[in-house]
Amino acid sequence: MTTLFVLDVPENTAVAEVAGRDPAVTVDHVGPYFRIVSDSDIVIDRRTTGCRHAVWYSSVAGLAQSRITQWDKDAMRIEPR
Amino acid sequence: MSELQHTVKGVDHVAYPTFDPAGTVKFYRDVLGFPVVHSICAAGWGPEKHPDFIHFFFDIGNDDRLAFFYYFGLEPFDGGPQGDSYSRFAEDVPIFFIRSRHLAIHVDSEDDLMEYRHRLDGSAWPVEMQIQHETIESIYTHDPNGYMIEITRALRPVTPQEDLDANLTIDALVDVVTGPDPSMDALLTRKAELITERAAAWQQQQESKEMATR
Repeated sequence: MTTLFVLDVPENTAVAEVAGRDPAVTVDHVGPYFRIVSDSDIVIDRRTTGCRHAVWYSSVAGLAQSRITQWDKDAMRIEPR
Repeated sequence: MSELQHTVKGVDHVAYPTFDPAGTVKFYRDVLGFPVVHSICAAGWGPEKHPDFIHFFFDIGNDDRLAFFYYFGLEPFDGGPQGDSYSRFAEDVPIFFIRSRHLAIHVDSEDDLMEYRHRLDGSAWPVEMQIQHETIESIYTHDPNGYMIEITRALRPVTPQEDLDANLTIDALVDVVTGPDPSMDALLTRKAELITERAAAWQQQQESKEMATR
């Protein structure tokens, strides 16, 4: 299971929304955080989110049994640990 | 979270040395328009060879003050080709590290930020960078002493959930830096545990607070 937490603030909503477009991904809330979960990898395209770099590179709040294998100007990929 | 009473009232003053008091007064008083609000002329005294000095203060708003020490006859100290009047660094010290220590002064609006940009751009110390970070917009320059100065405005207020997030980050950071192998990966893993433990309860507490104020 891949689990990514993102704080629910206006700058980050597109990150959760774009992640959730993958039918394998479910997005819900734990308190004020988006919890983004998938049985496989979670891949988020930065340009689709419209995030500027400063937002993009500070958008991840937590990783449960997961690790980031790509986090660059193109995309973020989270894989199960 | 701390239960200690929090009664401090901001910055009384922050103090830097200068070897260029004329440039410093020009920059802060004449270009930026920060009033001189206090100064001390002190003869050197005591067992050490303390030089005579002037300690002078500029008002940076909110009754907070930026202060300088000028020591008569004192020459700058060596230490490398990079840095400022207080700290010199060798060539191989990265610029992100040197720039990490800086003073940021707050303004309330875009108009105010642009006014200070205008003042700096008309001077010998023009704005070097203007950047929008996540939730703030800032301009940067270096003063005549090489100290990096930022003037910044908030693009939106900080929300309560950002205060929670900051506290979870710092608790996770303290945990991982006291552990064997500090890294961003370790921090984000620890922070996910703290989110799972605390975030839902925090949300409930916020909601009952909101109900109580209705």
